[in-house]
Amino acid sequence: MPKWALAYFGLTLVVMAYGFYAAMTAPKEATMGNLYRVFFYHLPHTILSFVFPYLNCGASFLYLYWRNRNVERAAAADAFALASAEITVLYASIGLATGMLWGRAAWGIWWAWDARMTTYLLLWLLYVSYLLVRRFSATGQTAVISAVLAIFAAIDVPICFMSIRWWRTQHPSPVFGGDGSVDPTMVPAILWNMLAFAMWGAFLLGMRYAIERRRQRQSNAYALGFLGDETPQVFQEAR
Amino acid sequence: MIPFHTLSERHLVYAYLAVWLFQFGYIAWLVAQWRKSRG
Repeated sequence: MPKWALAYFGLTLVVMAYGFYAAMTAPKEATMGNLYRVFFYHLPHTILSFVFPYLNCGASFLYLYWRNRNVERAAAADAFALASAEITVLYASIGLATGMLWGRAAWGIWWAWDARMTTYLLLWLLYVSYLLVRRFSATGQTAVISAVLAIFAAIDVPICFMSIRWWRTQHPSPVFGGDGSVDPTMVPAILWNMLAFAMWGAFLLGMRYAIERRRQRQSNAYALGFLGDETPQVFQEAR
Repeated sequence: MIPFHTLSERHLVYAYLAVWLFQFGYIAWLVAQWRKSRG
């Protein structure tokens, strides 16, 4: 792994540690007490789980554009789409888990079928199904099918994001630019954790992308090994 | 001392543990894949 990547990872850990410190030292909330501190981890993961699907969608568009024009770029876009879908599932899983833990303690229930939670569960299911298609499809057109699925899945993101503005929900109102505005003393802890988990997510994304590119190259080299001297010129150059 | 007496306190601890479990579990899996792919 390059030194700059390790330095970036170290910096991310420092920011995460400071984010944790900021979350633990923020003032107590008047009605919820310490329970509201779940929110310092829940909010960054949920917001970032709305960002990674757009990276997945953009990479899927690029894959479809390049697949008959530039094989190498198409493969890179496909690897990036896979990486961003995995990070989406990771962040959305954390968003669901932390939200349910908070809901059980604050409302007395684990789950409510309101617009936000239902569309968020759909988001999670869509990206889990995307990963399942990629893992188990044996059609030879897996990348194309998953790219199309990714574009359709991304439609759920703005619906989920806007659900707490469009409909009356059990889920709290938006804390920024909504009725559930947050106390200014709590904002630094939110922003530090947002930065920490964005940096962490970018590191995971880069690492997963690099692993997938390695796997693609190994797979290509393995396949080309069987072709021997019959390999077309264009593929011989890629060897 | 970690507060763990009430339901709220327990769920706060569980939420933070869940985040670290998911995140460090995933990065551990990535490191394993990274080492495997090098060979």
